[in-house]
Amino acid sequence: MKTFRTDEVETAALNNVNLEINKGEFVAIMGPSGCGKSTLLNILGLLDNPTSGELFFNENKVDGYNERQRTNLRKENIGFVFQNFNLIEELTVYENIELPLLYMKVSSSERKKRVREVLERMKITHRAKHFPQQLSGGQQQRAAIARAVITNPKLILADEPTGNLDSANGEEVMNLLTQLNETGTTIVMVTHSPSDADRSHRIIQLFDGHIVTENMRQTL
Amino acid sequence: MLKIFLNTVFRKLFLQKGYSLINILGLATGITCSLLILLWVEYELNFDSFHENRDQIYSVYENQIYADGETFTVYATPAPLAPKLKKEISEIDKATRVSRIWGKLILSTEGSTFVESSGLCVDSDFFKMLSFPTLLGDPNLVMPNHNSIVITEKMSKRYFGEDNPIGKTININSNFEYHVSAVLKNPPKNSSLNFDFLLPFNFIKDNWGFNVNNWDAHAFLTLIQVKRNSYIPNLETKIKPYIKQNLKQSNTDLALQAFSDYHLYSISGKKLSPIFYVNIFSVVAFVILLSSCFNYMNLSTARSERRAREVAVRKVVGAQKRGLFALFIAESIFISLLAFGFAIVLVELLLPFFKELTQRDLSLTISNPILFLSFATIALFTGFISGSYPALYLSSFKPIKILKGNLYKDSHQFRKLMVISQFTISIALIICSSIIYRQLDYIKDKDIGYQKDNIIYIELLDDFQEHYPQLKENLIKIPGVIKVTAASQMPINFTNSTSHVTWGGKSKDADNILFQLSFVDYDFIETFEMEVIHGQGFLANKESDNIKLVINEAAASAMKMDYTIGGKVSIWDYEGEVIGIVKDFNFNSLQVGVKPLIMLINSDEFEYIAIKTDGNEQPIINNIRETWNTTFPEIPFSYRLLRDDFSYLYKAESRMSLIFISFTIIAIIISSLGLFGLSSYIIEQKYKEMGIRKVFGAEFQHLFKSFLIRFLRWILLANLISWPIAYFLMQWWLAGFAYRINISWLEFLGAGILSIFIAFITVFYRIYKVSSITPIRAIRYE
Repeated sequence: MKTFRTDEVETAALNNVNLEINKGEFVAIMGPSGCGKSTLLNILGLLDNPTSGELFFNENKVDGYNERQRTNLRKENIGFVFQNFNLIEELTVYENIELPLLYMKVSSSERKKRVREVLERMKITHRAKHFPQQLSGGQQQRAAIARAVITNPKLILADEPTGNLDSANGEEVMNLLTQLNETGTTIVMVTHSPSDADRSHRIIQLFDGHIVTENMRQTL
Repeated sequence: MLKIFLNTVFRKLFLQKGYSLINILGLATGITCSLLILLWVEYELNFDSFHENRDQIYSVYENQIYADGETFTVYATPAPLAPKLKKEISEIDKATRVSRIWGKLILSTEGSTFVESSGLCVDSDFFKMLSFPTLLGDPNLVMPNHNSIVITEKMSKRYFGEDNPIGKTININSNFEYHVSAVLKNPPKNSSLNFDFLLPFNFIKDNWGFNVNNWDAHAFLTLIQVKRNSYIPNLETKIKPYIKQNLKQSNTDLALQAFSDYHLYSISGKKLSPIFYVNIFSVVAFVILLSSCFNYMNLSTARSERRAREVAVRKVVGAQKRGLFALFIAESIFISLLAFGFAIVLVELLLPFFKELTQRDLSLTISNPILFLSFATIALFTGFISGSYPALYLSSFKPIKILKGNLYKDSHQFRKLMVISQFTISIALIICSSIIYRQLDYIKDKDIGYQKDNIIYIELLDDFQEHYPQLKENLIKIPGVIKVTAASQMPINFTNSTSHVTWGGKSKDADNILFQLSFVDYDFIETFEMEVIHGQGFLANKESDNIKLVINEAAASAMKMDYTIGGKVSIWDYEGEVIGIVKDFNFNSLQVGVKPLIMLINSDEFEYIAIKTDGNEQPIINNIRETWNTTFPEIPFSYRLLRDDFSYLYKAESRMSLIFISFTIIAIIISSLGLFGLSSYIIEQKYKEMGIRKVFGAEFQHLFKSFLIRFLRWILLANLISWPIAYFLMQWWLAGFAYRINISWLEFLGAGILSIFIAFITVFYRIYKVSSITPIRAIRYE
């Protein structure tokens, strides 16, 4: 359970959520605004702690982890993609993508190799030296995905990854995520778009902090 | 409109309590400092300004030029000069001689006796030239007779209580009867001339038998009042050769100094004159004020991200850039006025300490229009300068960009520069104050070549010299008294000098070498533990036909006779024989250095008795008092400690270094606030970035380190800039001392470490906070 405390009322953002996500799955979380989607995603990504309850990652109980343990677990296993990209404006695309590797103390030659690879995969090699604000929304999101996948995470958490994109760019981003999933990466995605959700294996509907339905989908 | 304005201002101040407090207190600190300094500067600049004729009054001083090329500059002029100048030079309207009474006088009225030293002997023009208002007596004829005495209000109370003293009699030294002719208001504290009573100049002749027609005795201050519109350079040319005209062999030229400069400027060009401190502290006041304005700008812009939205909304609903600019300036001036209010309270609270520190009777009044204008200017200047940058900056935001959530870009170069310069100033001040402190400490503790500790001395009144042998015998019996000796002057400040010294083989170019003369008892050298390096000291009670002389090394080298003990030397009409040479010791302020000295025995000239004790002062002083009272029952006992007098020599300097240290601390506080402001600003800008970095794996220590390095880099830069500045400043200052310390690299290193430590403390909390944020909060933060 996750509760938020404001001055007067305690609001339960998530309540009695029981959820298991398997390796290699592609899960979409849907629901109206304020139903707790992002909170759930943040808890899954160890950015936020549940007020009460348990959280397991790779069969390890992680809800009691301290900040350092969570940082370590996150940087080795989880990649994030945000609706508003959250690229650092003072850094170039190349440097933004390189950032997680710096914190993992990867050698410089290895970093260069891996960044180049991922730039190629995301088709933004020509934009490597540009700053985020010089890129289109689609390009920025591809750079953000590049940053998310550079460490080869087991899990990618995407918070409305197409929310700020037009349909063509959105389509492209979804293709990228699908490809990643097909190569074995687990993906949990919050979305408002039914067509994006259609790409997933399972759709979780949240309402007022509760899971109301869980649809297993037959992937094509 | 005004109501809305005040409402919003107060609401903003209240909503951001911490920020407002730092901002207002920072400014208030700066204003407080500059106000305090301004009060002091104003006081110093207004010394003697109460004289209505101040623009026409000049003091005549001497340039005595000696063989070694050295010029000895003094206010001491011959007695016949003033009357002659007044008589012969048409531009000179009035003239007076001013002489302190020599030593002490015993003044008595019916029933009570006082020992006085604070009296002046003056000519009657004194009262027409200078503005010391008359309370009782005829203001046009203040000192009508040769036996008139003029006293101050204070002295009148002491002598006559509430009675009208006019016409009453005061006896001086039981010899002379003087009648009180007038009562003057007490001289103001900012008067260079201080006195309790005034006697006619001829008292010098009457009491001490001084020849007032002697052109070769340089002893008196001469003040002249010139006619309006006199051309001073012309007058100076006329006055310059006056002594030479009246005394053929003289080496002395005359020159003029405006009396309004008497307190501020040293005629001998001594570096540590009051004007030096006035200038230095004016600069310090300005720098501190500017520094606190920088802070205000820094802190305001640091918070501007919060205000950006306000600006955008105001613009969208129709505010013009000009209107916004005015609004921000108005807010800033309003806050600076608040800070000014605080500052006034602070000044009132601190003034007693500051008065103590400066030894000046300062007060915070708005009766003085210049001071009031300065105050108002400081407030407005502070408000305007502080507000202008944030105002320009905030009012130029593009509203659409901000409302869309795009962060505006700002290279904070300018503010970085401000913080670096604040720290540069602080570090330089730290270095300077530690060097100044060490130099003064060094001087106080320096081995000056004689023993200054455990010496009590008593002034011997005129005509009591004959009692000395008996007194000495009684004093030496007191337990704890080790030695008793006497001299014409204490080694603290020998002032009696002459160039009328000749010796065998004296060359022409040795004319006009100035020798200090001191008349001493035979055990003087032993008492003060001076070191005899050739020959011997004086022998006890061995009278002989020849006068025995002991000279110092400087005199020996001036006479080029360091190889002959037994050389003959004549001083005026006396002939003497050099029996010993003492190692140079300092008998002046250490700023000056050692001059040639001749000591000889002459008990008629003794003016002081020096008593060396075993250090157990209080019981010994009580015993001395008893002995004194039985010997001189009619004269009140008073004594001094040589050690105290020695520190008094350096009082001005010690005081200044204390003030300097105080302002250094304030400058450090202000620059720390500046650093706090800018680091807050940068951290605020980087808040979101830090969140993103954390999401992607950055740990606390990564962020902490990177921020710390970033801020400490500035401090290192400030160190590099300030070191050479402080070095050259201090080299220059130390050059004014004959004995000085060497500047040590430790001072620089120490200041560096201190500044880094202070910077670390200042930014630690902020960096700690931002480095330990939960990333999710930063991502949400916008």
